[in-house]
Amino acid sequence: MARFAKNAERRQDVIAGSVLLLFAIVWTVTVWLTVPPGYGAGPRAFPFWLGVGLTVLSALLLLKGLIGPYGPVEAVAEEDAEPAVSPLLRLKLVVLVCAIIVAFGWLMPKIGFMPATALTVAVTLVGPLGERRPVLVIGMALGIALGAWLAFGKVLGAYMPTGSWLSIF
Amino acid sequence: LGPGRHQQDGLMELFYTAAQAAFSPATLFAIAAGSLLGVLFGAVPGLTFTVAMALVVPMSFSLDTAPAIGLLLGTYIGGMTGGSVSAILLGIPGTPSAAATVLDGYQLTRRGKASLALGTAVIASAFGGIVSLIVMVASVDTVAKLALRFGPAETFALLVFGLSTICGLAQKSLLKGFIAGILGVLVMTIGIDEMEGVLRLTFGTVVLQQGVSLLVAMIALFAVPHVIDAFVKHYAEERRPEAIADVRAELPTLSDLGKNFWLMLRCSLLGTGIGAIPGTGGPIAAFLAYAHARKSSKTPERFGRGEMAGVVAPEAANNAVTGGAMIPLLSLGIPGDPATAILLSGLLIHGLIPGPMLFINNPGEIYEIYLAIIISYVAVVAIQLFGIRFFVQLLRVPAHLLAVGIIIMCAYGAFTIRNSVFDVVSVAVLGAMAYGLTRVNIPLTPIILGLVLGPSIEREFRTALILSEGEPSIFVGSVPAAVFLGLALVVVSTQVVRTVRATLIARKMEDKARASVTPSE
Repeated sequence: MARFAKNAERRQDVIAGSVLLLFAIVWTVTVWLTVPPGYGAGPRAFPFWLGVGLTVLSALLLLKGLIGPYGPVEAVAEEDAEPAVSPLLRLKLVVLVCAIIVAFGWLMPKIGFMPATALTVAVTLVGPLGERRPVLVIGMALGIALGAWLAFGKVLGAYMPTGSWLSIF
Repeated sequence: LGPGRHQQDGLMELFYTAAQAAFSPATLFAIAAGSLLGVLFGAVPGLTFTVAMALVVPMSFSLDTAPAIGLLLGTYIGGMTGGSVSAILLGIPGTPSAAATVLDGYQLTRRGKASLALGTAVIASAFGGIVSLIVMVASVDTVAKLALRFGPAETFALLVFGLSTICGLAQKSLLKGFIAGILGVLVMTIGIDEMEGVLRLTFGTVVLQQGVSLLVAMIALFAVPHVIDAFVKHYAEERRPEAIADVRAELPTLSDLGKNFWLMLRCSLLGTGIGAIPGTGGPIAAFLAYAHARKSSKTPERFGRGEMAGVVAPEAANNAVTGGAMIPLLSLGIPGDPATAILLSGLLIHGLIPGPMLFINNPGEIYEIYLAIIISYVAVVAIQLFGIRFFVQLLRVPAHLLAVGIIIMCAYGAFTIRNSVFDVVSVAVLGAMAYGLTRVNIPLTPIILGLVLGPSIEREFRTALILSEGEPSIFVGSVPAAVFLGLALVVVSTQVVRTVRATLIARKMEDKARASVTPSE
C-alpha cells in the first residue's frame, strides 16, 4: 500500500511534468510568433519569460519524476487514502459534472431559471447519482429551484433568466 | 477652530455616514446571510468556505457597496468560525484552520462536554477576531502611509515578495508551488495588453479579448473540483460518520473564561501576527497557538484528552488571522490566502481598490469594513449559539446531495457575471482542468494568487522600466525595493536548500533500502 503510494507520486510527477512541459513549449512559441515585442519590456516580454520559466520548472518536475528519489516508503493513513474508483470512472465523472454544468447553463436562457434548475437537479439525482426516492428527488428539485429563485432573484435582486422557449418564471 | 478640530469633525461625519450604511437593514441582512452561509460551508467537512466565497462574489453584483461588503465579510468570518462545529462534534475539521481544534474538542465531545466546547469555541473565536480587528485598525493606516511612498519598482518588489512567500512557504513542494504561481500569472496575460492595447493569445476570438474572468476562474478552481470529488466519493460509497443526536451550544461561565483570558489574548495576538504574513494563514496559527497553550499549561499532560484550553487557543488564533490578513490586504493590496484573494476581487468589483490609495479615496468604506467585521462576529456568535441543532442536521446530509446544489450555484454564479453561457462553459472547462491539477498535486492556492496579483506585477514591472528608460537597476535602486527582493530571494533560497537536502536524504535512504534488499536476493 505504502510502496504503491510512492509509485503513484512518481507517476503523477511524470504526467504533470510532461503535460505542463508540452503546454509551456507551445505557449512560449505561440507568444514569440504572435505577440509583437513592442518597446523595451513590451507586451511580449512578460508572457514569454513566464513561458520560459514554466518550461524550465516543468522539465525539472519531469526529471524528478523520471530519476529523482522519493524517499523511504511511508504508511498512508486510512482517511488520506484515495477513494477506490477506476481512472476511467473518475474521468467519466469529470465529464459528467462538466456536462451537467454546461447543460444547465444552456437551458437557463432557453426555459428560464426555475424550470432549468428543477430539471437539472432531478435529472442529476435520478441519473448519475442513482437516487430512487421520489419525495427526495421532487423535494430537492423544487426546494433548490424555489429557494435559489427567492434568495438570488427576490432578496439579492440578481437577474434571473426567464427563457426564450418557455417563459414561466 | 483649529485645523485639527475640522479634521476630527470630518472623521466623525465619515464614521457617522459609514455607521448609517453598515446598520441599514439591507447591510445587516447581507451580513447575517453571509455569516450563515459561511458558517454552513465552514461546518460541513469538505465544503470549504472558500467555495462559499467564490459562489457569493457574483451574487454581490446586484447589491450596493455596503451590503456587498457585508455579504463578503460575513461569509469570510462565518466560514473561519464554522470549521470548529464538525471538528468538535465529529472529529473532522470543517476547514483546515480547525484541524488543531479536533485534538481536544473531539475528546470533550466524547466526554459529554460537546455543548460547552462549542460555546467556548464560539466565544474564543469572537474574542480572537475582535482583538485582531483592534490591532488591524491600529496598524493598517500606518502601513498604508508607508506604502504611499512606494513607486512602481517598490510595489513590484513587494508583490514578488508576497507571491514568493505564498508559493514557497505554504506549499508541500516548492517546485509545484512555483509552477502553480506561474500558471496563475501566465493565464492573466491573455487578452488585450492594458499598456499598449496589443492582443495577446486571443486567437482572433472576441470572447478572449477581455481576458480570463477572475470570478469564472475562482468558481472553476474551488467549486468544481469539490463537486467532482463529492461525486467520486459517492461512487466509491464512502459514508460520512453520523453526527451526535442532540446538542446545543452552552456558554462558558465567566470564571472559566477568566482562567483562559490571558491565553486567549496571547493566542489572538499570535494569530494576528501570523495572519499578517502572506502565505501562512489559519492552520499554522492554530497549531502554533495549540503548541503554545500546551507548553504554557501547568497540566500539559491533559492536552489531547479533552482540555478546554486546547479548544480556546486554536480557535482564538485562527479567527485572529482574519484581522491580521486584512492588514496586507487593505494597506498593500496583497491577499495572503485564497479567501482574502476572493475578498479582494469582490471589493474590486465594487470599485474599492485595496492598497494605500484606498485610505485616501474611500475612507468611508474603510469604516464600513471595520463595522461590518464587528457586526459579522456578533452575527456569527448568535447563529452558532441558536442554530447549532440545525448544523447537526446538516452534517448528516450526504456530500453528493449538497454537491447538486453547488452545481446550480456554480453555473448560475458564472452566468450572472455577464449573462453569458460562455462563462458557464468556461467554468466547466477550467474546473475540469483544475481537478486535473489537484490529481497531480499541483496546489490551487498559488494559482489563484497569481491570477489576482499577476496583472499588477506586470504593470508595475513595465512602468518601472519605462521610468528608468530600460535600466533594470531601478529594482535595487531604493532600500524598500532591495529589501523586498532580498527577502523574496531569502525565502526562495531557504526553500531550495531545504528541498535539495530532503532530496539527498531521500536518495541516501533509497540506496540504503536497496542495499539491504540485494544480499537476501
